[in-house]
Amino acid sequence: MSGPLRADALEKTTGRALYTADIRLPGMLHAKVLRSRVAHGRLVRIDATKARAMPGVHAVLTREAIEPGTVPFYGYFIKDQPIVALDRVRYEGDILAAVAAETEWQAAQACAAIEVEIEPLPPVPTIEAALAPGAAELFPEPPIGMVPHYGEGASAVARPEPNVCFAFRYRMGDAGAFAECDHVFEDEFRFSRMHHLHLEPFVSVADCSRGRIEIWSSCQNPFPLRKEIARMFRVPENRITVHVPYIGGGFGAKNNCKTEPIAVRLSQMTGRPVRFCLTMEEGFLTNTQHAAILRLRTGVTRDGTLVARQAEILLDAGAYSDASPLVAEKAGYRAPGPYRWRHVDSLCKCVMTNTAPAGPFRGFGGTQAAWASESQIDMIARRLGMDPLEIRLKNALSLGEPYMPGESGIDSDLGAGLRLVADRIGWRSTNRQPNRGLGIALGFKDGGGVNKPAQARVKVSTNGDIFLHCGTVEIGQGARTALAGIVARILGAPAHRVAVAPIDTDSVPFDQGTNASSGIAVMGQAVAQAASRVRAQVLEFAAEMLHASPAELALEDWHAVRGEERVPLAPLVMRHFGGTGFEFSAEGFFKARHDPRAPLETPCVFWEIGWAAVEVEVDRETGRVSVPRLVVSGDAGRALHKAACRGQDEGAAIMGLGQALFERMVYDGTTLLNGEALEYRAPLAEDLPAEFVSITQEQGHGPGPFGAKGLGEGAMLPIAAAVANAIEDAVGVRITELPITPERVLTALQARQGRSP
Amino acid sequence: MSARVAVTVSVNGTTHRREVEPRLLLSDFLRHELGLTGTHVGCEHGVCGACTIRLDGAPVRSCLMFAVQADGHAIATVEGLAPAPGRLSVLQEAFRDAHALQCGYCTPGILMTVSAFLEETPDPTEEEVRHALSGNLCRCTGYQHIVDAVLLAARRLREG
Repeated sequence: MSGPLRADALEKTTGRALYTADIRLPGMLHAKVLRSRVAHGRLVRIDATKARAMPGVHAVLTREAIEPGTVPFYGYFIKDQPIVALDRVRYEGDILAAVAAETEWQAAQACAAIEVEIEPLPPVPTIEAALAPGAAELFPEPPIGMVPHYGEGASAVARPEPNVCFAFRYRMGDAGAFAECDHVFEDEFRFSRMHHLHLEPFVSVADCSRGRIEIWSSCQNPFPLRKEIARMFRVPENRITVHVPYIGGGFGAKNNCKTEPIAVRLSQMTGRPVRFCLTMEEGFLTNTQHAAILRLRTGVTRDGTLVARQAEILLDAGAYSDASPLVAEKAGYRAPGPYRWRHVDSLCKCVMTNTAPAGPFRGFGGTQAAWASESQIDMIARRLGMDPLEIRLKNALSLGEPYMPGESGIDSDLGAGLRLVADRIGWRSTNRQPNRGLGIALGFKDGGGVNKPAQARVKVSTNGDIFLHCGTVEIGQGARTALAGIVARILGAPAHRVAVAPIDTDSVPFDQGTNASSGIAVMGQAVAQAASRVRAQVLEFAAEMLHASPAELALEDWHAVRGEERVPLAPLVMRHFGGTGFEFSAEGFFKARHDPRAPLETPCVFWEIGWAAVEVEVDRETGRVSVPRLVVSGDAGRALHKAACRGQDEGAAIMGLGQALFERMVYDGTTLLNGEALEYRAPLAEDLPAEFVSITQEQGHGPGPFGAKGLGEGAMLPIAAAVANAIEDAVGVRITELPITPERVLTALQARQGRSP
Repeated sequence: MSARVAVTVSVNGTTHRREVEPRLLLSDFLRHELGLTGTHVGCEHGVCGACTIRLDGAPVRSCLMFAVQADGHAIATVEGLAPAPGRLSVLQEAFRDAHALQCGYCTPGILMTVSAFLEETPDPTEEEVRHALSGNLCRCTGYQHIVDAVLLAARRLREG
């Protein structure tokens, strides 16, 4: 048995599971939006007179319909995205107006009848164009925003230069270290942009018809969403309720405001519930991963000791800041990789372009950083004539060694994981076939979010039925099953006795969101504390009833157990509290301790590691790369649910494999060419490596309940670099730009042939 | 607004008669007219496979058909797979036991695809399973647990 059955398996295999996309309310209207076809321009005129008169139309939201006194912008650190276009449009797909009508069809028809006049401004399609002297500025005026108070070595500036909304920098040690290096290598890498491709679209239903704001949303962070809606619409947070049913995938995209502000405003205007559901094509225009240019300058001694690294990372933030500043912080901070350095100077800028807004994506800057760093480590090994495995083993941080000064210690044995995947792929094998090669890489990120609090509540009824209230959303990761398992274990109850309550922000304790692989390592600790406190309450009560001391008693399937004696608790509860019963209830809380020395406000809660070893075969005729074997591994600390852990690593690894070989959003200037499922190539079952091995390590050093750590992002991080490293091993060419398409490989092979005929 | 058209379909053994607009998609008909929201809508272009149902036994994309085209046909959806409320079919049990789902949004479509596949290919190889699944997108699992579940279901079905 690889863990208990998923708590949601019955609902999800029978079609009974309810998603936001399924929510229908009486009298509900449907929203559609008009999107800009112009990438960059001044909105001169927008006239919805005709649209308002069309059949079934109840309201049209244009800039004129924004209520005076409200703040029509949203975002994370920087709030620059308007609910509908105000003075400008900033990308093809930017929302100009929204319509609420009886049907989606009527709403779409009305959108088409809105008259718009846009005076084009010079488009800014790429990072290079945005940073060129004299480039048109997306935001000539500084938007509202803030910069966090960082700790030792870290700093940031909002809008340091035109078209850069945020820059993060981390510095450690003395730059003089470069002078002591035998070699300094400079390499540039390019990272392409994916869409999350969550199958359930961005969707919400808002109902403002009863003097409150009630929202059902496919949303990863209901409490921050509530706060953002409260701020924008100037409504107290206790007059807003956010419900989150099952979520059909998110991968980062479903954090913060997406469809909700428009649904809320249209519901306010019409007094009716409004559903706003995007199509998948609109999803591509709503949130994406960050494309990036990464330049690494790395100094080493001739024996392969890493000494100093300077990194410059330029993230393509798209048209609005969204979570870009947070992603920049993480990409910049993670650029050194989990190695021992004497000097680090890492700078990451978010560059605004007239393309779809980029935001949180599985890996969160770590994927970009690992692509460059793990490629360059390999290149350095080859330049020095070293084994790529050995250079990593030589320089990897040891278990317990702080990542950077003021940080927590690395809580996985990195070398053990490297050897594990290397052995499994046959790293030392001398039986090598032509055009086949092996690659290895080590992905890492700081997990658990920054300075992130979590609260949970556990209740037990008279009969021993257990309730878990917590804000971690079920987005597929198996949070409900794993968190309920923690409670069951602490209360000595079978797993099926624990039910996780549906999420609404009025009754569930506060949580910052389901992201940063924090469900187990952060929320899990709050859940464990709540369960332990309830257990103490129950034992104290039972001890009093049985004239015993709590220490003598154990709790087992709602019995107080003393030696051989098993006393059912329900009768004791009713005797004491009366026949209508009682509920034991307690709350738990967790937050990493604040520490001014920690670069990112608090020391990292846990380190999420992904190890990968891969075998590739390169077709020299076509440049096509195939992956006959992939070994991927994460460290669960202690697995709360082995099958769920394996599933997280496998899902992440295949997403990484897609990114490595083919998956990307293709832009022609500011126009997205493949923003739909048919044109956008995502991994299919047929793309699985013939041999796909996923190993969940349980190294036992996690901070979470029973030694658990978070999983779910780590296994994505090393894949692309491992593939590129294997390609160089196979055919001697180095690909530094993702995805590794046949064209790029063939071009590199031809260039190499040209050099050495 | 186009004139409504009468449609009679059998869905999971129950006959339904409705008057619908000619442009109503079969997927929307099932979800909104009949309240069978287990058929999910992902891409609406026939690519992701989340809306897969069976039409006279054949797996089809319900987002690529109009409801009126289903007139007179027999439809099976995910809601009809279980033998009784609270119980699961062999295939559903295999998905549960092999942890072949995460967010669950692709699950109904995959179950419908696989239910047809296993009728035609009761003893598939792993490669055949991968091929059969390649018309359905799953973004969460990396597919391996789903492949395992299909092989498990096939074995259990063969062993009765």
